[in-house]
Parts: sequence; structure tokens; C-alpha cells
Amino acid sequence: MSSKTRKTGKADYPPTDYERIFHPKAIAILGVSADENGVGFGTGMLRAIMAMGYEGKIYPVNPKGGTIYGLEIHRKVEDIPGPVDFAVIAVNARYVPESLEACLKIGAAGVEILSSGFSELGTEEGKELERRIQAIAARGIRVVGPNCFGIYCPASGLTLLPGPDLSRETGPVAFVAQSGGMSIDFAHAGKWLGVRFSKMISFGNGADLREAELLHYLARDPETRVISMYIEGIKDGERFFSELAAAASKKPVIVYKGGLSAAGARSVASHTASMGGNRVIWQSILRQAGAVQVNDTEEMAQANLAFAMLPPKAFRGISIVGGGGAIGVTACDTAEAYGIEIPALPPDLQERIGSVLPKPGSSAINPIDVANPFVGPQALKEVLLGAAEDERIDLQIIVSLLFHYKGLARAFGIPIAQAVPYKELTQCVRDVIDRTGKPVIAVLPNMTRGTESMDITELIALTRQEYLSRGIPVFDELHDAIRAISHINNYYGGKIK
Amino acid sequence: MKNEKAAKIIDKALKQGRKTLSEYEAKQVLAAYGIPITKEVLAKDKTALEKGLKKIGFPLVMKGCSADIAHKTEKGLIHVDIRTAAEAKKAFRDILAGMAGYEGGVLMQEMIKGRRELVMGMTRDPQFGPCVMFGLGGIFTEILRDVAFRRAPLEVRDAKEMMQEIKGRKILDAVRGMEAADQKMLVDMLLNVGRIGLDFDSIMEIDLNPVILSGAKPVVVDALMVLK
Repeated sequence: MSSKTRKTGKADYPPTDYERIFHPKAIAILGVSADENGVGFGTGMLRAIMAMGYEGKIYPVNPKGGTIYGLEIHRKVEDIPGPVDFAVIAVNARYVPESLEACLKIGAAGVEILSSGFSELGTEEGKELERRIQAIAARGIRVVGPNCFGIYCPASGLTLLPGPDLSRETGPVAFVAQSGGMSIDFAHAGKWLGVRFSKMISFGNGADLREAELLHYLARDPETRVISMYIEGIKDGERFFSELAAAASKKPVIVYKGGLSAAGARSVASHTASMGGNRVIWQSILRQAGAVQVNDTEEMAQANLAFAMLPPKAFRGISIVGGGGAIGVTACDTAEAYGIEIPALPPDLQERIGSVLPKPGSSAINPIDVANPFVGPQALKEVLLGAAEDERIDLQIIVSLLFHYKGLARAFGIPIAQAVPYKELTQCVRDVIDRTGKPVIAVLPNMTRGTESMDITELIALTRQEYLSRGIPVFDELHDAIRAISHINNYYGGKIK
Repeated sequence: MKNEKAAKIIDKALKQGRKTLSEYEAKQVLAAYGIPITKEVLAKDKTALEKGLKKIGFPLVMKGCSADIAHKTEKGLIHVDIRTAAEAKKAFRDILAGMAGYEGGVLMQEMIKGRRELVMGMTRDPQFGPCVMFGLGGIFTEILRDVAFRRAPLEVRDAKEMMQEIKGRKILDAVRGMEAADQKMLVDMLLNVGRIGLDFDSIMEIDLNPVILSGAKPVVVDALMVLK
């Protein structure tokens, strides 16, 4: 754990039944269209939640009544025959306050308001509508939104708009953002990258629930091991800082801050103020709170993957195994830049590893160059087992340049997926992890992404899937993997006490 | 608890509608918070000048001191390494002439010897409140921008991290025959700069530049405080 444990202010948040919000047994959807061809948010969300296979009761609501997808449409929220835990509100902005009022009246624990037309417009009318939402929320119902894509919770089947095809596989990563677009993008990316979510909250305007309180909740949520956030603006700097520091002392919090500018907006007289612009201050604040800072969506996804799939400890020394590319020098340069060592193996291990490698062209020093990309899984397994015996090695990276198999496949007249023993490879790597207790990361670069190489793209996707199903994280590039490890190292080790 | 002596100085400046404290006032605020400053006397007339010479001795630095004048170096209002009473009297006259039209006096201060210059400061961030800065001082502040920030209140480890974070961190070590900087003093200074920021909402910005390492001991040689 991070050594950062700061005193935090007393949390005076309203009592909230998050269980009923994230794992509702019954939901109402306000603002479905009266027929199935509707293109509104309400109907879209109904379709998406049904497609996700949500197992609870769904009560669509529209004043016109009727049926939709075999479900009875209730004319009023008050007509719903059973208890409702959570509601989706997708009605026109001016009807949102009364809809929320009705949800409060029937005892829903929370709602997500997908509708827009509030403070984001900057109009007095929009701001007034949002204030009314806040006033109703304060009387005992929690609000996500308005102007958001809602909540995604794989375990319960709640999904973001328009996400009928997100994963139902639950996992350790929670994600919080104002931006619905950023949320749905990460939800989709996570699906193939292997990032599995406990819950995702896009809170839009954040009229009620927002960053600091969600951090407070997620820090205590047993379903969440890793918290990640995309932040544009925050409401209360002091509260945000104290919740961030408190959360980061319990579990990794990965923060991508968007919209950083180098200069402060106001005119200043001192050198201190001229150097303390928005970017510098944010970076300092995040560092001070013990958060993990990332600079773009890819880095954020990769850091999440690493924190979710690797053991919670620092990895100071690593081995890198690969062949058929220029991994040696570039690997060392990259690792050194991130403060990670690639120690040369002792002579006896070099000899043992060298004995299973093709000659000439191989090198067993570390990085271990296996000479060509066609070295088989069993030999690679021996290499990894050997390198793991060096006690300075905390983690191993195996780089496979699978695209080189295309030429081999062509020579034999077989599809590339048949030429590559990718299932055996991934199982061999899993065996190494189980026997050595040291994690292995896979790197699958693809230098051939043109339309003539769709078979290679497919092969790499299949290999990634095999690795992920065996609990092994996969990165596209060696640099990505090493940077992700450095985030883990910065979080778990080396803090000044 | 707000320091009363500092509050008096700041309130007076605010009542006069001023946007800055004079160097002398800023240093009195610092001293009230236990931050080491140069031994100094503000002289407005010849009697005070004589007293100052006795109190501070030589070598001496003399500066024009007014809340209305920033960037004294550029205006030729700083005379350093003054070694005789005659030099001091000439400097006194020159400075007062250079300050024509500005309210103030001549600040006489001990000349701190030390080749290592640091900077400390505070800026009030609209989102996060007072944030404390530490880094390389003197002319290097603007050239290298090698600084670290932390939000107040600082904990001891924050101050230590700031010192580790700058690229020029080795300047604090025992280098080229110079003693290692007194880390505890630096930590206390940074914590106290943060306290000033927390105690006085009316102080928007602070520059302590340079903070010179006199042997191992840091001393604030020049100070600027900007008011709301």
C-alpha cells in the first residue's frame, strides 16, 4: 500500500444505498417511446439493458401507456406495481423534476438522468432546473447526471448509453468520469484489452453524486480494487484532494486529467504564481495525494490492466525475452528511463538458457534474444523458468513477434492461425508463472496492420484472448508494458516516509 | 492560530489599499513565523542610517524599500558589498534619489555569503488554495524553472519530497567543499510558508528569492508578498 495516509475531513455525505443503485432488483425507465421504433434515450436504454440480459424487473414508463418489447408501459411512476430500486430518467428536461419527485415518492434509492438541457446550456432556465434536481435529491434520493450516459455495472447488467454489447464479466476496476463518451469508449476498450469493471459511473453535470463522494464510496467498495478517473473540472478542490489522498492510501487511483494548460489564466506578479499554472499545480496535487497520473486514454487503460492483473508490489528487476527484433538495446533504454533494472543473468543461468536456444544469433544475457521469432513454446518455457531463478528478477516480459509467421504459413500453404502454436505458448507462460510465482507480461507487437494483414490482426487478437483467459496481461508494445510497470512501482514502492 | 504581529502588518497594508507588502514588511511577516531572514534595519533618515551601520556592520547590502517598487535590481536600487561608512552614505543618497516619488526607505541588511541560491514561494490556486513552491533560486528560477509544488498544509514528507523532486536536488548535498543544507530548517520553512498562506487569505502570492544557503543554513534574502 502507499505510505500516504492523510488526515481527511469528516465525510458528511447523505446516507446512500449503493447496493440498490448498482445492483437493483427492479428498475423503472422513464421516457421510453410508445412504440418500438423510438430512437430516444429511454428506448435506447431499455433495448441496451435488455440486450445486456439484466435479470431484474424492468418497468417502462410513458404517459401514453401501451406495451414495448413485451413489457407493459406504465402511465405514471406511481402506477408501478412493485418496489423500484433504481430509475433511468430520459424525459424532456422540463419534466425531469417531477419525474425525480415521483421516483423519490415510490422509494427508489437513486436515478440516472440521461436528459440534457440543464446547467450545461449556461441558461438561467437550465441552471434553475438543475437546482430543482438538487433540492429534490437532498430530500432522500441520489442522482447520477443529468446530461450523462449513466452507470455501467457488469455484475447487475446496468449499462451505459448506448451500450447493449458491453461485457457482463465483472472485475476489479471502477471508472468515474463526467464524460459519457470517455466512459463508453473505455468500457468498449476494456472488453478486448482485458480490463474488467466493477462499476463505471458517468456523472455528466454532477448535480448530486460526483467525483469526491464517489471516490469516498469506491475507496470502501469491496468490489473495487483499482479506481480510475477521467477529470475535466472538479467542484471542491479541498474535498477532492482529501478524498483522493484517502482513497489512494487504500487502493491505486489512476487519474487522467484532461484540459491541462501550461499557464495560469490570471495575471500575476510573482515568479511562484507564474510557474504555478494549472498543469503544474494539478500534477503536484495528484502526486501529493499519491494518485497514479496518466496522460492519455491508452496509458490509462494500460495502467488499469497492469494494476488489475499484477500482484500488488514493486517490480525492480525484470527479464525480457524475445527474438527476431531489435529488443535488446531499446528494452534497456526504456527500462532505464523508468528506473527498472534488466540485470545480466549469472553465467550458469546464461549457459543453461543458451543450451535451449538456436545458435548463432541468440544471447542469454538479459534481455534474452532467442534469435528468431519461431522458437517454440517449450523452449521459451525453459528460458523463462531459467531466468526466474535469478532472485533479482521480479517479473518477466515475453515479446512475441507473431506477424513473422505469415511468411512461414505461406511457405507451408496454411493459414497463419495454424502456423502459430499460440494456445500452447500461452499455456506454457501460465505454467511458468505457476511454477515460479513470478508474474509474466506478454507483449504482442503488430507491425502489419494493413488490409492485406487482417489474418495477422485476427491471430494477435486470438492470442491476446488466450493470454487474458489465463490471467496474463497483454500489451501492444514493450514501452507500454514497462511504463505500466513503472506506475505500479511508483505506487507500491519508493515513497518518502 | 493567526500570528498577531503578521496580522497587524498585513491589515495595515490592506487598509492603505496596497497590493504588495514592502520587502521589510514581508520579512517581518516571515520572521513572525520563524522563517530565518537577513538581519536588517529600515532607515529613512541619517540618524537611522548611523544606527543601522552600528547594528549590522560590514559588509552590507542596501536596497530601496517600498511596497510600490518591485524588481529592484532592474531599477538600480540595490547596492551590495558596501564596506565603509562613506560608501554606505553615498549608497543611501543614490538610492533615495532613485526612489524619487515613492514612499519608503532604505533597507540595510547583512550581506549573506553563499553560492547556493534557492527559491520558495506560495501561489493561491483558485481550485486548491495555497500551494507552496520550492526550487532553484536566483537567476535560475526563471531560466531552469526547476521547481516543485505542494498544496498546503504541507506535511514533513511533502517538504522532503519537494526537495527530492527538483532536478537540481544535489545542490542540497555536500558538494564542492560546501556543507549539506540543513534539511530540517528547509522543511520548517516550507511548512511555515504554507501556514502563512492558510492563515491569510489576503496574501495571493509569495516569492522568497533568493533563499541563500549560508553554510548549511538557509536565509531569506529577498521577499515579495502580493495582496488581494
